[in-house]
Amino acid sequence: MVQFNPESREITIKVVYYGPALSGKTTNLQALFQKIDPTVRGRLMTLDTKDDRTLFFDMMPVFFKTQSGVKVKLKLYTVPGQVMHESTRRIVLQGTDAVVFVADCRRSETEATLAYWNNMLQNLEANGLDWRTLPIVVQMNKMDLPEARAEADLGDLRALIKPPVVPAVAIRSEGVIETLYALLQLTFRRIDRAVGLHQKWGISEREFLGRVFASVDVSGTKIPHPTEGPAA
Amino acid sequence: MSLPPSVLQAKSPLGDLLDLRAFADVCQSFVELYRVGLKVFDAEGNKLVDVKVGNADFCGYIWTKSAGREQCMATVGRVKNDSLPEEHVQRVFDCFSGCRYIAQPILYEGDSLGRIVFGPFLPEELKALPKELQAISPDFDAKLAEGYAQKIRRASRATAEKIVKHFGDLVEVMVFTGHKALITARLHIEAVQEDYRDLQEKNRQLEDGFARLKELDRLKSNFLATMSHELRTPLTSVIGYSEMMLEGLGGPLTDEQREYLGIIMEKGENLLQLITSILDISKIEAGRVRLILAEADPAQLMRDAVATVLPLARKKGLKVSCEPGELPRIHCDREKLRQCLVNLCQNAVKFTPAGGTISVAASVEPGDRLAIRVQDTGIGIPAEHRERVFDVFYQVDGSSTREYGGAGLGLAIVKSFVEAHAGRVTVADRAGGGTVFTLALPIRPPAGPATTPVAPPVIPPPAAARG
Repeated sequence: MVQFNPESREITIKVVYYGPALSGKTTNLQALFQKIDPTVRGRLMTLDTKDDRTLFFDMMPVFFKTQSGVKVKLKLYTVPGQVMHESTRRIVLQGTDAVVFVADCRRSETEATLAYWNNMLQNLEANGLDWRTLPIVVQMNKMDLPEARAEADLGDLRALIKPPVVPAVAIRSEGVIETLYALLQLTFRRIDRAVGLHQKWGISEREFLGRVFASVDVSGTKIPHPTEGPAA
Repeated sequence: MSLPPSVLQAKSPLGDLLDLRAFADVCQSFVELYRVGLKVFDAEGNKLVDVKVGNADFCGYIWTKSAGREQCMATVGRVKNDSLPEEHVQRVFDCFSGCRYIAQPILYEGDSLGRIVFGPFLPEELKALPKELQAISPDFDAKLAEGYAQKIRRASRATAEKIVKHFGDLVEVMVFTGHKALITARLHIEAVQEDYRDLQEKNRQLEDGFARLKELDRLKSNFLATMSHELRTPLTSVIGYSEMMLEGLGGPLTDEQREYLGIIMEKGENLLQLITSILDISKIEAGRVRLILAEADPAQLMRDAVATVLPLARKKGLKVSCEPGELPRIHCDREKLRQCLVNLCQNAVKFTPAGGTISVAASVEPGDRLAIRVQDTGIGIPAEHRERVFDVFYQVDGSSTREYGGAGLGLAIVKSFVEAHAGRVTVADRAGGGTVFTLALPIRPPAGPATTPVAPPVIPPPAAARG
């Protein structure tokens, strides 16, 4: 669960991008790396093998200070997708505050996607995390491919599962920011309910999202531009 | 259940992210290049690196005066401890001696891990040493101090700031690289530990499952032993009273009654035999069978076995031959060996259609072994079943509509008894159709009390062992 340090007025939020092999988890992080202002993010740490497959994880920190002087750190992780890295996935999932489940939306990938979804639920449970209350967003990636499910199908999916579903083409950075936005919105609400971010720490949802996305290039997305809100 | 805390969840101090010895070399080289001292502190204020150059004489002289010492310590304290903003900005600290320090925070992932302190150097614009310096002591020798100060590098603030920024950039890369190496190594270990924990958990489940199966198997054997005993008792009475009636003890019988009683007796005997087999196998499985070894004539045992099945064989229209030839006497449990032969002969009769032949023969084999062969011209055993016909309750045709009856115990008993004699039973195709079972027994079994080994389990053998 979210790490608080009242002494230094710090909040650390861990977000994990989970999903089957080659579904586009690292691509999501790379796209965000390009879109986020370098002054508020760290380097993208990638631990991969020589064939560009993630070995342990990728990690990118994003940090900012709120008006009330609270330091907020977001740590974005990916897990390795290959089946053999099961234990690493479990370790990376430890203490996560929110999950983006990156799914390959092609029909042929349905089975693998479902298997990883169940696998994720098990690994969350193994970490003592309750997937029923954890903020989760499902990203239907690779919507540009010929075999992709139609948007209408996503409606069916939305009716079926609780987590919000966001369509994306991560390789073209489409839907990546929307996914993070949807997730952070859920995450803020969840943490706020649990510990009173607004009440005790003086951070409103508007400010929280505003601060994050003020440093993100949101052009071409449907995300409300940060200047529209009273974030600053 | 929860995993042990991972390195990913922990904050690492600066000292863990850098190889301090190698880092000190970098600092040394940097100092040699710019001729200005360099200190690096972690977030707790611990000094990780301290390289001095040029200021030893100057500062050493000031240090000899008590007021100078005090003020020097105050400057060092400020440089080391005054808070720095968590941003990429530098702070300038001017010493009362006219020297200058520049401090810059080491920022990583939005946190301050420590600070770089660059100095002392003399500001380029400084014309003369400040008056306060002269005031520290009445005997302060300004000329001497000026001479010492010559050894300290002069630099403009802009140049110094550029140098510090450059060094800060280098440190950031070193910290990132160090952090990456640290996480890689630690996560590797964590992943192996987690795999190990996972495997142990699975092993434990398998062991539990195996123990449960063994317990069930034991319960089954117990049940069979008890039930066999309970079934045998009333059955003995059924057979006994039928026999008494046949002998006329209950008064005269009509032919029809005699025939019916004959059937009751025959079927009763069959049932008794089956129950005895079950009892035998449950004893074998419990490892409770002891061999009673004595000298025996194998030829006699073969003839006995053949005689037992002869009536049934004749009825089926089978030819039975027994050619023991000249055989040595053998040290064995006579009753058990007889039963083995009877079981094999009964099987041969059961699976050989009318007009077939059954032959029992023996020979002495190398290694002081006696081989007894029971051959038939029956339906044979498909290769894929051959390994398993000796398993308890195994039937080649296990369906409920099978043609041949039986409980699947005969061969399991044979195998156990033969192995208890340190012998072997094998099965092969007979040339021209049918099956050959061969018992190979040592003529003198090894000394020591022989018991049957625990019977082959009911669970299937591994794939590699199958026919």
